[in-house]
Order: sequence, then structure tokens, then C-alpha cells
Amino acid sequence: MATTSATPPGAALRAPARAAERQPLRRRLRPGLYHAVMLAAAFVWLAPVLWMLSMALTPNDALQRETVGLVPAGLTWSNFVDVFRVGNMPRWFFNSFLVTTVTTVLTVLFCSMAGYAFAKIQFTGRALLFAVVIAGLMVPKEALFIPLFLTFSDAGQQNTYQALFLPRIAFPLGVFIMTQFFARVPSEYAEAARIDGAGRWRTFWSIMLPLARPAMASLAIFTFVLTWNDYLWPLVISTEREMFTVTTGLASLQSNFAAATEVGSLMARGLVGSLPLIVLFLLFQRQLIRGITLGSGEK
Amino acid sequence: MTTTALPVQSSTSVPATAGRPRRPRSRPLAAGLGFLAPFLLVYAAFVVWPVLQALRMSLYDWDLLGFTRQFVGLANYRRMLWGTEMTWTIGHLALVRVLLLAATAAVVARGLQRGSARRSLIAVAAAGLALVLVLGFHPGAGGAWNDPAFWASVRHTLAFTAISTPILVGMGLAMALALHGSHRGTGFYQAAFFLPYVLPISAVTLIWSYLLNPDRGLIARVVGVVGVDPIAWLSDPDLAMWGIVLTTVWWSAGFNLVLFLAGLQDIDPSLYEAASLDGAGRWQTFRHITVPGLTQVSVLVSVTQLIASFQVFGQVYIMTRGGPGDSTRVLIQHIYEAGFRDLQLGYAAAVSLFLFTVMAVVSAVQFKLVSREA
Repeated sequence: MATTSATPPGAALRAPARAAERQPLRRRLRPGLYHAVMLAAAFVWLAPVLWMLSMALTPNDALQRETVGLVPAGLTWSNFVDVFRVGNMPRWFFNSFLVTTVTTVLTVLFCSMAGYAFAKIQFTGRALLFAVVIAGLMVPKEALFIPLFLTFSDAGQQNTYQALFLPRIAFPLGVFIMTQFFARVPSEYAEAARIDGAGRWRTFWSIMLPLARPAMASLAIFTFVLTWNDYLWPLVISTEREMFTVTTGLASLQSNFAAATEVGSLMARGLVGSLPLIVLFLLFQRQLIRGITLGSGEK
Repeated sequence: MTTTALPVQSSTSVPATAGRPRRPRSRPLAAGLGFLAPFLLVYAAFVVWPVLQALRMSLYDWDLLGFTRQFVGLANYRRMLWGTEMTWTIGHLALVRVLLLAATAAVVARGLQRGSARRSLIAVAAAGLALVLVLGFHPGAGGAWNDPAFWASVRHTLAFTAISTPILVGMGLAMALALHGSHRGTGFYQAAFFLPYVLPISAVTLIWSYLLNPDRGLIARVVGVVGVDPIAWLSDPDLAMWGIVLTTVWWSAGFNLVLFLAGLQDIDPSLYEAASLDGAGRWQTFRHITVPGLTQVSVLVSVTQLIASFQVFGQVYIMTRGGPGDSTRVLIQHIYEAGFRDLQLGYAAAVSLFLFTVMAVVSAVQFKLVSREA
């Protein structure tokens, strides 16, 4: 205990004696208790997912007779196999994958370019344009799906891929994040490139972008999760089953009568539809969390 | 990693450009606009334009199928916000209005104390008083709202927000406090609590519709062991919203956990060292260092959560379709059905703008909070 040196001498004499009695027992019990409680809490929190897995591994007819617990009754893989053999799931998976990837790539690219311009290029009207983009942070997308729908339906663009990804790219929060990032990059880097004779585009592409990799990764993961999970806009603009995404497709299955008889298949579809995000989460948890804290304006 | 890449980059670029004369940067405007062009284009088309379009549509009787597009002035707004036999009484929604008045007074008083700009304080006071005044209007005897379903959806949205926000913020804070500190294995616990947030909403509703099912659900089975009768969460009008809240808490509490944990990590560690040097106990340390250190982030999380809760739609629409009866029908569902079931895009746009205004005001507050901190 280094702290005893700062406490009054009297206390210093008594404190070690008491600490010596109490500390070993506390030290042994505390972490054990803490981990027991936390493990129980984590288990309860994840139980719904485990239950989903258990049902997905149980044959459909067994599920009609009884409710299974967290242990599957009669192990089967057929529910998972059927995900890719029966129904539209493969198509929805492809749709989600395509739309999410395009959205993520374009969002990160456009936001990085805009962030670089705002942070590193001194041009007239910069402050005004930045204010206009920042005002977009206060525009709730969820309140705009009616006019957005009209824009796309008037152009005959319902049930197309571009209708699914275009509105998502306009992501002012991404510009905000990237501007904050580039503003902190010392200008000497760009100066050095200029002395080497690199143009702005080249400076951006071969010096700024590599520097921005961590911020871009956070923005990318964040965008990917948000886009994959988007529900309202795909529901509005994609009305043909072939153009559903995983999220709207899974939702459409739940109002279906099969929801009562093929619970196992349904759960398997839910798990497969979530799988890309679970994998992404396990691989890039740190970047995702950083994206969230950056996006909240906290950092 | 990124900094070590830099010298390599610049040295490789030297031979390629050595022979060329240095490019003078004489046209920053062109360069700036060039870099901004792609974003500004999509921004103008899919953020700015829809706002203007919504304003225009809300003044029209605008049919989804395109048969009628007729200018009707403020009729859509009258339908949304007005009724027959309207009267104004001082006692209508008294509690809400008194609270609103108190909140306005508190904000203005705080502003005066801190010496905020007089003009913005007057604006806040005027807006607060106007709202308190306007809320006194309601249909009198024999009258009715023009669109009672709109008001019902506003009520349900507010109820969901009022119930879910404190629970979500409290859970996030509790989880963050439990994880904060130098215990080993906190990464695992954090991952466990955060995982549901990355699941698509329709996968979440899939699990929870079954979990909450009184006949086959896991919750009914677990409480059945203790001898409690299964609860028909989603088919009871009084409980359906709680079922939705439960689902939402499981889905997104991890998001708040992350924000709170970041806030906890931002508290200067030297404060804790100083406290332990002074012989402060656990509770004292918490009370005098952790709590004040978390004030800012708590406000931020609450406002963020408020905005998110106000746009609730997916879980309600998939799990209950707004039922039973209309007990969980929320504002976005009202917009969605006005537009795509009743085919009245003009009216749907007017309701959208109502939602837009409420959320933009809360977002502006959030933005102010964030920019003050920065």
C-alpha cells in the first residue's frame, strides 16, 4: 500500500495491521463473486440467442409438439440446409450483401473526400457549406421516407438496387467524423507532399487516406451494420419479394402462416441472416465501438 | 502503423514527379468543390430535396397512384392538428403543461446564470410559452379530433419513449459501471451485452415474439417453474407496449453501454489516484468523482436515446402491427399507413413534417450539447 505514506502517522501504523487481516480473504472472494455474477448476467443476456440456436437445431415437427429449452431436442442440420434450398433467402442475402457493400464503400469514400476538403482546403464558402452539411445532422431520415419514395417512384426506380443504396450514402454524420479526423492531421504531411510536387488528389489518395485508415474502418463498420439492419426504407421502396433485403425478408416471413409450423426453419433463417453481422462484430468490435462513440460526438 | 507508411509513400512519389514543375495551388475553390461534389450531390438529392418536397406535398391532396394532385392549402395540417367544436381551457393536459412550463423556466434560468445569448433565451421562452398555450386547445363537448388516430399514435410514441428511455439509459449505465475497472474478462462481458445491437431488427423480433409467447415461450416456461401464470404479453392491450419495450431494451441497451463506458474512461485517472491518496472510500469516490464525471455523457446518452425512441417502428410493426386494437400504433406507422394503405401521400407528408419538427428540435438540443463540449 503506497498510500500509507501520505496518511497521518497514526493511521499509517494502524492501517497495515487491519489490511493484513482483511485483504487476503477479500482478495480471494471478490473477483470470484464478481465473475460469477457477471457470467450469470452475460448468460441470461445471451440466452435468447442460444434459444434461437437450439430451436434452429431442432426438427420442425418436434417444435410443434413441445417447447424446447436451451438444449435442442433431436439434433438436425436440415433447417440450416433448407435456408439455402427453399424460399428466397439466398436472393435476399445477395441483395443485402450487394446493397450494404456498395453503400459502405461509397459512404466512406464520399465522406472522406468531403471531410478532407472541409479540414484541409481553404476555399471561399467553406464555413457556409460546412454549416449546411452539419444542419443535416439534425434532419431525421425516418421522417423523410414519403418524399423520398415519391422521388424514386416518379423516376420509375422502385424495386431497384440504386433505390436501396442511394439515400443511405447521404450520411452527414460520416462527413462530420471524417472532418474531425482530418482536422487533427498535422498540415506538415500535406506540405511535404506538396514539396514533392504531388497534386491535391494525389496527396489525398496516397497520404491522407492511408493516414485515415482507422477512422475509415470505424465509419465503414458502423455504416455496414446500420445498412444491413435498415428496415423502414427497404420496406417502403422494395415491394417485390425478389428485391427484399434480409431484414425485410425475415420480417415478411414472420407474418406468414409458416411462422406457426416451421419454427425451426424460421430460427435458422434468422441466425443465417444475422451471421454476417455477428462475424463482423466478433472481428471488428473495437472499430464498431469507436464508430459509435465518434458518431455520438462524444470524442 | 500509419505513420511508418508515410516516408515510404513520399519517397516513392519523388522519382515519378521529380521532372515536373511544382503545381501551384492557385484554385482552392475548384479543388474544394471537386472533393465535395460527390457528397454534396447525394446530400442535395436525398436530404435537402426531400425536405422541400415534403413541404410542398403537405399542401396538396396528393394521391399515391397519381390521379389527384390538387393544392389544398393547409387542409392536411387542419386535419392532423384540429377538430370540431374546439375550445381552449386552462386545465387541459394540466400536468404536461405545468411540467413544460417548469422545464422552460429551468432552461431560461440556467441560461441567465451562465450568461447565454439573450436572443436565444427569448426564443426558448417564447417557444415554451407558445407550446403551453397551444396545448390548451382540445375538442369541446360533442366535438372530436379530425384524426383521432394521429393523436393516439402520438400518445403511444410518447408512452414508448417515456418508458423505454429511462430503462435503456439506466441499464446502459449499470452495465458500464459493472464493467468499468481493471477486472479481467470485461471484454467478454462487454461483447455479450453488446452483441444483440448488431442483430437485424427482424431477427430480434423473431426471437422475442417466441420468447414472449404465453404457450410456447421460454419466459412463460421459466416463470411457470416458480408457479406464475404465463403472461400474454403481446395480445394484452395493457401489456403489449411493455413487451415491445422489453424487446427494445435487450436489443439496444448495449449501445448505451458503449457510450457510458467511453465516458467512464474519459474521467481523468489522476482524480481517482488523488481520491485514494486522500483515503476516500468506494462510495465517496463514486459520489464525488464518477457521478460528476458522467453528467455530460449522461445527458448526451439520454438525448440520443430520446431521438432513437421517438422513431420506433420496426419492432412494433413486425411484432404487433400496432395492435392489439391500436394500443401500440406509433407515429411512423401512422405515416406509413396514411401513405401506403390509405394512399394519401399529402397527408402522410404533413404528419412526417410533424415528426420532423419534433425530432429536429431534440437534435438541435443534442447538437448544442455536443458542440458546447467540443
